[in-house]
Amino acid sequence: MNLTYVLKKLISLLFTLLLTAFLVFLAFSVIPGDPVTTMLGTQATPEKVAALREELGLDRPFLVRFVSWLGTFVDGTFGNSYSYHVTVRSMLAGKLPITLTMTVMAFLMILAISIPLGIYLARNSGGRTDRIMTVVNQTIMAFPPFFSGILLTLLFGLVLHLFTPGGYVSYTRSIPGFLGYLILPAVAIALPKAAMATNYLKASVLKEMKMDYVRTAYSRGNTTKGVLYGHVLRNAIIPVITFLGMTFTDMIAGSIIIEQVFSIPGIGRLLISSIANRDYPVVEAIVVLLAFFVIVTNFAIDIIYRLVDPRIRSAQEE
Amino acid sequence: MREFIKARKNFKAGAIIAGILLFMALLSLFWTPYDPEKMDAASKLAGVSLAHPMGCDNFGRDILSRVMTGLRTTVVIAVGTVGIGAFFGSIIGSLTGYFGGTFDEIVMRVNDVLLAFPAVLLALVMVSLLGGGKYNVILALGIAFVPSFARMVRGEVMRCKDLDYVKNARLQGARDLRVIFVHILPNVMPVILSSVLIGFNNAVLAEAGMSYLGIGVQPPDASLGRMLSEAQGYLYGAPWYALFPGLILVLLILGVSLMGNE
Amino acid sequence: MEQTTQEKLNTAVNPSEDLILKVTDLNIAFHDHSLPETVVVDVDLQVKEGDMIGIVGESGSGKTMTALAINGLLNRHDIQKKGEILYKGINLLTCSRTKLRQVQGNDISMIFQEPMTSLDPVQRIGKQVEEPLRLHEKLTEEEYKARAVEALGLVELPDPEEIYNRYPHELSGGQRQRVMIAAAMICKPRILIADEPTTALDVTIQEQIVKLLKKLNQTEKTAILFISHDLSLVRKLCPKVAVMKDGYVVETGETEAIFRNPQHPYTKELIAAIPEIGVKQYEKKSDEIIVSARDLNSYYPARNGKLFGKKKKVHILKDVSFDLYKGEILGLVGESGCGKSTLSKVLLGMVKDIDGSFTNQDLHPQMVFQDPYGSLNPGKKIGWILQEPLKNFTNLAENIREEKAVTMLQKVGLSAELMDRYPNQLSGGQRQRVCIAAALMAEPGFLIADEPVSALDVHIQEQVLTLLKELHDQIGVSILFISHDLRVVYRVCDRVMIMKEGRIVESGITDEVFLHPKEEYTRELLRTSGFLGKNIV
Repeated sequence: MNLTYVLKKLISLLFTLLLTAFLVFLAFSVIPGDPVTTMLGTQATPEKVAALREELGLDRPFLVRFVSWLGTFVDGTFGNSYSYHVTVRSMLAGKLPITLTMTVMAFLMILAISIPLGIYLARNSGGRTDRIMTVVNQTIMAFPPFFSGILLTLLFGLVLHLFTPGGYVSYTRSIPGFLGYLILPAVAIALPKAAMATNYLKASVLKEMKMDYVRTAYSRGNTTKGVLYGHVLRNAIIPVITFLGMTFTDMIAGSIIIEQVFSIPGIGRLLISSIANRDYPVVEAIVVLLAFFVIVTNFAIDIIYRLVDPRIRSAQEE
Repeated sequence: MREFIKARKNFKAGAIIAGILLFMALLSLFWTPYDPEKMDAASKLAGVSLAHPMGCDNFGRDILSRVMTGLRTTVVIAVGTVGIGAFFGSIIGSLTGYFGGTFDEIVMRVNDVLLAFPAVLLALVMVSLLGGGKYNVILALGIAFVPSFARMVRGEVMRCKDLDYVKNARLQGARDLRVIFVHILPNVMPVILSSVLIGFNNAVLAEAGMSYLGIGVQPPDASLGRMLSEAQGYLYGAPWYALFPGLILVLLILGVSLMGNE
Repeated sequence: MEQTTQEKLNTAVNPSEDLILKVTDLNIAFHDHSLPETVVVDVDLQVKEGDMIGIVGESGSGKTMTALAINGLLNRHDIQKKGEILYKGINLLTCSRTKLRQVQGNDISMIFQEPMTSLDPVQRIGKQVEEPLRLHEKLTEEEYKARAVEALGLVELPDPEEIYNRYPHELSGGQRQRVMIAAAMICKPRILIADEPTTALDVTIQEQIVKLLKKLNQTEKTAILFISHDLSLVRKLCPKVAVMKDGYVVETGETEAIFRNPQHPYTKELIAAIPEIGVKQYEKKSDEIIVSARDLNSYYPARNGKLFGKKKKVHILKDVSFDLYKGEILGLVGESGCGKSTLSKVLLGMVKDIDGSFTNQDLHPQMVFQDPYGSLNPGKKIGWILQEPLKNFTNLAENIREEKAVTMLQKVGLSAELMDRYPNQLSGGQRQRVCIAAALMAEPGFLIADEPVSALDVHIQEQVLTLLKELHDQIGVSILFISHDLRVVYRVCDRVMIMKEGRIVESGITDEVFLHPKEEYTRELLRTSGFLGKNIV
């Protein structure tokens, strides 16, 4: 791994983040609704409005506001909520770990299902299991996570009584209880993505099996297993990595909705309620934070990609 | 050859499913079994019966009728969204991909930033700026879909730009815009079309998700997503209330994705 | 069961001790369609220790299938095999997979046509060279590495220790083929099958690989089965040869004997096709210069790896000067990457970063590209494609445009019916004719033909070249004819330029250059193309 490359990439990452922050801030500055009117109602006296505008710093020029807003990310307060008059940081506290835990759980499930299943189906391509699983996969992919969430609640909560709907357990109270409650939401998010990843990996393995280097490997006396695990898999996984990266980003967004289904007090519910309350500083902070995660994930994917595929390493370094 | 026949079979099955649902949505313009808004205390949460094939909701409204009109809303939003995304995405993508240079650098930089957001999140933020309602959802989702279309078309145009037939077209006197819109873009169409089908499904998912969260389509427009959110409270007593709108959603997505498999 | 008895019989009656491989009555057929498609018929082949046998034939003659069968690589269920491939008393066609694997890569190894894709792209070279050894012998890690480095040295790769840690994409095609050979030789096999090992390589690299194989055959006593479509190459390398056509071995024996006295008509045809230099009449067509270049240099931007490093430029064309006279065909010959395609782009104004000067007297220069599949718009009908230049350059009415297109289509030997077809409904040869037609629709005075027949089959090549020559004689268009194939160039060009690493190293009247090459490089090109064959052997 080339250090200059990483440095270059980090600088471009920082630039992307700044641009993101700028676009978000710009978007929230040009919207028609005035937060002051929302907060004071239409009956407020002009003096009161002016006073509040000054208090919130809305009377300053755009660029000054932008820079001071950026400052709140440096000092870690993320600005002040309009509705609750506390720092956004205190509102976010404790919510981020919930959303991230759920997303990571779902991601691990995707890996645990799709890798073995994808390889198995590729090895038995055209067989009965493969044909059945193709149909099953296709159907699972069509299930919106919030609908599978509802079905899972119905099945495990109301029919099998293995799960208490709405009985979220905080991780401060019991970690096993917390993780246990997150299993079903994670499954709901993971299912369609796992089906997609399985299909993707299977197609990739089948494609690689037709390559010339596979014939070379056989000509040296390899068994099919030897060819598959010694050569094909590493090549086949390369395109899947990109897909998994996109999946991770998608799932962060998916978790916003699934938190609502399972009444999980994560980032997503905060975002929704803040949107409903027009509490812009909170919305802005969450959006920038999620963008940060997405951008960092993409960076990580890029690094992993380069570790797995030597061709990309030199192509970009030259 | 066998692959091809299989793909055609998939396409047919998908087209039949999607076709039936589309017909139901169209039909709702002229006729539904009941007035989808008419409440009837007597049939509150009534189960599946001949009179109400999908049962009734907590206000005694006929679920089949509401599913039909909800489906219509969903289809209109998805078509509008994909239309906006594909149209503007194709134009931006083909111009930046063909001309390259600083213009391309800037547009693609902004594009990358927008792509960093999952489309649903982008749309959520935009709806929070614009307010809810059918047209704002179309606008928000449409804009959210532009970057991915632009990137895809740009990649294709860049690939085609260096192909011999395009060089040939230039040698034969075709000007830049003619090269882009007459020589290159028609050949990119198949790729755009398959992206349109995928985009359609993503739009359906996004709209249903937003409406489920209560920040998408607003009453009186019926919406499958909001029906699901309302039904969640009656899950134990009236599971059909959630099942039917959800299954219709699944079928729509399945049908379109089968068509796109080719 | 029948085969087992036969197996024993054969070992018993095999009198010759140095006979290591015996192929008897080999038949191979594909079974994936309703009708079985036979690709190899009753092939017999005997390999003795240290043999060097050439198997010659066109694509589809069954030579590769025979090779794959010997190496046990035809294991698909839809392939039917009959006959016997006897190695050390084992019939490789019927023995168990386990037994076969002990032979594969160990006793019989193989290298392939495409060195670019035959290596695993994500594994280090060292690991790939070691692989056969790991599969067949139990050694320590150090021993594996030592043997791999030794093998890399054996194939004359510079700095084997360093190559050991590289990845395939960091090596050139020739180096990759050497790596393939190193891996194939590491277990000291008794037979090495080389399936068109030089076809995908440049001519000068071909020469080196062939020399290497010859050396390995002599020093290591490995028998080599050299499969090729190139008769003159086989003549240089292999004392024995088998000529294949349509799945049959039509002639076999000592190479020189067959060359002097071919028996089968097909062999006669092959030998007759090896070019001979006759006396071409050269006459200067005109004094008028259409295209002229003086000290032309071109550059290609390359990014520097350093964070704030300056952008570097790669120097492609170096001081290129030439004149193209009206009505002549000027050949430009060189290996891939020598800059010949760059020159064509420069002349058509597609490259901006240049030094020096060139003039072009023609308003609408046209080009015919190498790949007839890529140079026609796949979404338009032939008629539309042919009318495109007229739409852009003239104001002719639609019916006149159409009439002109039909006339042109007939001129290139195609029927007017093709006007309504799409390019993918045409064969490669037909498409190239359409490409030529489309180029001529603009009535150019200057035409660049960039490897116009390289992507076509040999007999189609012949037809397209004839057409090009005829049209040229009729219209008098000046052509810059770019090719790596000296035989093609010799057939059509009045004068020729030889390009090497961006520089024109030699130029002159075609016969002059071919008969009395001044540069060593030109001589090498001629030698590998079989032009100097007789003088060298």
